[in-house]
Amino acid sequence: MLTTRRLLDSLKQIGITHVVGLPDNSTAALFHELADDPDIYLITVTREGEAFATAAGLWMGGQSPLVVIQNTGLLESGDALRGTLMRMRIPVVCLVSYRGYKSLPPTPPDPLTPDDLSRREVDSVATLLEPTLCAWNLPYELVGDNAELGKIQAAHERAQLESRPTAVVITDTIR
Amino acid sequence: MLTQSEFLQPLAARRTDQVVVSTMSLVRAWGRLSKHELDFAFADSAMGHAQSLALGIALAQPRRGVLCLNGDGSMLMSLGSLVTIAQSRARNLILFVAQNNTYEVTGNQNIPGAGAVDFHAIALACGFPHAFYFDNPSDYRTQLDTLLHLQGPAFISVRLEPGAELPPNRKQTEDTPYLRGSIADSAHRLREALSIAHPGPISPL
Repeated sequence: MLTTRRLLDSLKQIGITHVVGLPDNSTAALFHELADDPDIYLITVTREGEAFATAAGLWMGGQSPLVVIQNTGLLESGDALRGTLMRMRIPVVCLVSYRGYKSLPPTPPDPLTPDDLSRREVDSVATLLEPTLCAWNLPYELVGDNAELGKIQAAHERAQLESRPTAVVITDTIR
Repeated sequence: MLTQSEFLQPLAARRTDQVVVSTMSLVRAWGRLSKHELDFAFADSAMGHAQSLALGIALAQPRRGVLCLNGDGSMLMSLGSLVTIAQSRARNLILFVAQNNTYEVTGNQNIPGAGAVDFHAIALACGFPHAFYFDNPSDYRTQLDTLLHLQGPAFISVRLEPGAELPPNRKQTEDTPYLRGSIADSAHRLREALSIAHPGPISPL
């Protein structure tokens, strides 16, 4: 299980100052908690591309932001990610919720066919997420339990070390 | 209607230690007037997002003024960001939109809604506490000092004549220094400059 309290502790441990993003069902509890958090400033945006650009500006201004969006929003905002955090070599971790994760087949289809993207029982954004992250060269880790929260710190350290954005993909609802 | 120089020169003359984020056809025009270390060219980036980057800087550095020089085509790409900026209450951010009704750097094709879109009314409807529109150089020049003393976020739309700027590139031969390095170098340099320069109490331009 992934809990808000432990996740927030992890974010504070790595010095996150701002969260920029859009809530979905999986991350709603985190946003709810952040609304009143005294240490981390929450900025909600109207579209995910704004989040990457705002995070870039926050970092340039000396802060340590985190982006939190759903995988649908990641696909929507690809050029903003490319043209800001990636192009500018800005070390920001992006927390991406994995909508449709549980609908995925045990073995991902390879190569993808039009049928794979139109199956009623499989959420196609889940099918496309990891291939997209690979294609965009955005390093990522999957996190679905409190025991795996160390991966956020690892993603943060990698981002700093390599001066690039990294992603942590949340596979379960944050409680 | 104002020329590009009637828009930018009075601003350059009044600028002190604010961060200036420019984009699209305003990048070279601003670079010809200013060689300040806190100028940032949002070029070779992601069109439509300059104002969001400026918001981030403004929120990160609340004691420093931030001016964003945006285009109307860029603004249309992310109108929702006006809501984000308005709700942020970033009092140190002023967003200028140069309204020439065209995509200038690609040859002045009309933007959607050219001449019909009322940007400053949109900004007010999105919650900006201050929004203004100028189509006359003397009004703009006369009121600029007052406008720059407002507690933002403020939105200023200026009706410009279409120009003939080419797309801003980043290469060593550029005559504007802030376009000579990569955008990554520029971003990291600005962060460093901002970490060294400590502004005093919030002060208008």
